[in-house]
Amino acid sequence: MPTPQTPAAGRPDGPAAGGLVLLILRRLRDGIITLALVVAVIFVLTNLVGDPALVYAPVDATDEEVERLARAFGLDDPFLQRFAEYFVDVFTGDFGDSHWQKRPALNAVFDALPNTIMLTLAGIAGAAVFGIIGGIMAGARPGSVFDRVNNLTSVAALSVPNFWLGLLLIVVFSLRLGLFPTSGKLGWSSIVLPAATVAIVHGGRIFQLVRSATVEEMSKPYVLVARSKGFPRRTVLWRHVLRNTGLTTATIAGWEYVRLWGGAVFAIEWVFAWPGIGTLMINAAHRQDFFVLQAAVIIAGAFVVTSNLLVDLMYRAIDNRVKAS
Amino acid sequence: MRPNRNRAVARWLLAVSVMALVAAGCGGDDDGGAEPAAPVTTAAPADDGGGGGGDAPAETTEAPAPDTTEAPSETPTTEAPMEDMEPQELVIAVTTEPSTLDAQVVNDRAARVVTGNLFESLIFRDRNAQLAPGLALSWGPVDETTWEFTLREGVEFHDGTPFNAQSAAFSVNRMVAEDFETQRGSYIRGILSAEAVGDYTIRVSTDGPDAILPLQMAQVPMVPDGAGDEMNDSPVGTGPYMFAGWDRGQSITAELFDGYWGDGGSIDRFVVRIVPDKQTALAALQNDEVHLVLDILPEQIDMVPQAKNVPATEFSYIAFNTYVPEMSDPRVRVAMNLAVDKETLAASLYGGFARPNNAQHLTPESLGFNDDIGPFPYDPDQARALLAEAGYPDGFQVTMNVPIGRYLRGEETGLLVAQYLEDIGLDVDIQQWEWNEYRSAGRIPGTEEDALDLKYGWNSNEWFDSARVASHVTCGGRSSKICDELVTEMFEIGVTVVDQNERDQAYQRAWARLHENPHAIYLLQQDLIYGMAANLVWEPRLDDEYYVAEMSLS
Repeated sequence: MPTPQTPAAGRPDGPAAGGLVLLILRRLRDGIITLALVVAVIFVLTNLVGDPALVYAPVDATDEEVERLARAFGLDDPFLQRFAEYFVDVFTGDFGDSHWQKRPALNAVFDALPNTIMLTLAGIAGAAVFGIIGGIMAGARPGSVFDRVNNLTSVAALSVPNFWLGLLLIVVFSLRLGLFPTSGKLGWSSIVLPAATVAIVHGGRIFQLVRSATVEEMSKPYVLVARSKGFPRRTVLWRHVLRNTGLTTATIAGWEYVRLWGGAVFAIEWVFAWPGIGTLMINAAHRQDFFVLQAAVIIAGAFVVTSNLLVDLMYRAIDNRVKAS
Repeated sequence: MRPNRNRAVARWLLAVSVMALVAAGCGGDDDGGAEPAAPVTTAAPADDGGGGGGDAPAETTEAPAPDTTEAPSETPTTEAPMEDMEPQELVIAVTTEPSTLDAQVVNDRAARVVTGNLFESLIFRDRNAQLAPGLALSWGPVDETTWEFTLREGVEFHDGTPFNAQSAAFSVNRMVAEDFETQRGSYIRGILSAEAVGDYTIRVSTDGPDAILPLQMAQVPMVPDGAGDEMNDSPVGTGPYMFAGWDRGQSITAELFDGYWGDGGSIDRFVVRIVPDKQTALAALQNDEVHLVLDILPEQIDMVPQAKNVPATEFSYIAFNTYVPEMSDPRVRVAMNLAVDKETLAASLYGGFARPNNAQHLTPESLGFNDDIGPFPYDPDQARALLAEAGYPDGFQVTMNVPIGRYLRGEETGLLVAQYLEDIGLDVDIQQWEWNEYRSAGRIPGTEEDALDLKYGWNSNEWFDSARVASHVTCGGRSSKICDELVTEMFEIGVTVVDQNERDQAYQRAWARLHENPHAIYLLQQDLIYGMAANLVWEPRLDDEYYVAEMSLS
């Protein structure tokens, strides 16, 4: 759908709206190119690392038995032919059938996908509360008890592997306190610990950046002027400082969300036996169940692309300056 | 604002201090773990594991559930008396999700934990790992290439269809079909087809004399006539439990089948929960969320309410390439066997949950086990003498190949064994491999240049029959780098002659010969260790099967 390039003229929302559509279209185009690259790279990589028929066959299988499986898997066609077919299939929505699961690879991914979405959203929400609100409050009064405790927590959370933190939470909140189930997805309470792990680790990083941005902003002359004019500290903080640190905040929060999809959440899913696509991918990789692995990577890639687009749109909502570019 | 903030601070302080306390607690646990004798119930020693009597798995009677006897299935309205009885539910944790539940397709342990309870084969294994009547009452050869099976009558599938010759023949034919993708390939090797020759009789034909057909048929699960792809996610068998649900990525549930032909179990339903991380699974066990965790490590025994172990059908070894000039002399290979202290290996790396391999990759229950042969003693002096006698007083250079992350403590074993070999004067290079590359490299014939000199691996003999090892020790065998004519001849008898006694004798001769002319450094027989809830009553089986009908909750 071509967008008419209306000249700026007098109506202020005209160019902005047109620019928005253009931006989305441009990003979608980039996204599709990125995904095409992802498809190519993942297909080549997975097919380079091994032989799915050999992994599927029993340990003592004869050459003939392995060949028979390879034929059944369609692996005896030339590599380029399989690549071309896969490429075309993927863009028509056919991600192939899993030989292990005996069903379309996409079904396996769609079974797991809602769980990962749920966990990343709950986790990033927690991370935003801890990181953004905590960071602003800590940055407003650097050196206070609140600042020190949260600072210590976030540094500690950043210094340990996320799966280890997950295990620690299991030991404390499941085994010692008996508040939540250790693992699985048995009810609403099951999401608390994995989401808290995401929130602490990723919120910790958000906290660090938001805090330092706030400290810096608070030291600017306009804050001093506003304060000396008698504006309450709270007003200055939440009305002016927050707005000026908003871009940093949105960038880092969006980036942390994208990081989750880039793999950070997968180890957490694994530890908590959370049935998301991380666990699915790891098992698929072990089994060289290529179609599932490829589908999962491509879908996760699509989430990264979409999330990036949403972050960009968020910038525009937050900061007028971005609209110009 | 202020009070809120204080509360938040207080909460964080609480959390931090709780974590600190727990960290301290963990430290304490670790210290305890260092002590060798743990205050845990460990199963009676090795040989007792299978001593529970020779009845077929499904026939084991464990305190029958009062309800099942009282309310026979005909009347669906007898729900009321169930109310005061809490249905017994058992939860087993596995690390990987089964890829499908079609028992004819899958063979990994996680899948068998489920399918072993839903499906049955014509032949069972009893608790001593011996073949026993299952859905077939008797069987025997009709001629060189045909076996006849007489089937049990009155057996019903979970969907109500009868089990008979037609479904049995269909089951075999479905599995051996050219385009059927199965991981049980080794169990259908040589089988051509099956046909019904009566209502309850089938004949199975093979492409040559096949002495191991009965043990193969023990791994060919019976499915209803006409079964297709729907078996992947809604399996139907004849077992004591019937499929109830599969929550992908999370769990699989099965319920007691009240139309079962034998004695069912006392557990009303069981759930197989997928918990990929072993630490998490152990936490779930401690938290009473699961009752059974498979494959725990020796050092994790302190963490579980109850631990039991059973000798596994897993034998670790280091295979020789006997085509390498220095190792072509049997004396050199015997010397290398004498050089390794197996007892120390078992005690140090496996906490005692392993024992020296009887130099034959067989459990004592297996066909062909030779009682006269035991582990090579640890005798480095004699090893050096033998090396000198063979013309290598100063040793020689050799490469030991070890896969990464495949076998429990495999890398460490490689290092330790290399150390022992260097003690008798060899110069050992260790090369580590990614598993799939290793698997391919391991199959390069010994006569070729790229063949591996020394190859570490575990051989699993879940057949309880020497035939399982044939490809490792016979001339031209798939994984063999040795060619001994007597051994090859004896193994030929073992897989073609039907008379079990004759097979047994042939294998015993082969193992005796392989003791003088070793194909490998025989290392250990490993244990399987299970973490169990305090109230789970179960004796682990020798055959790595997990029949819920044999388990109960106290």
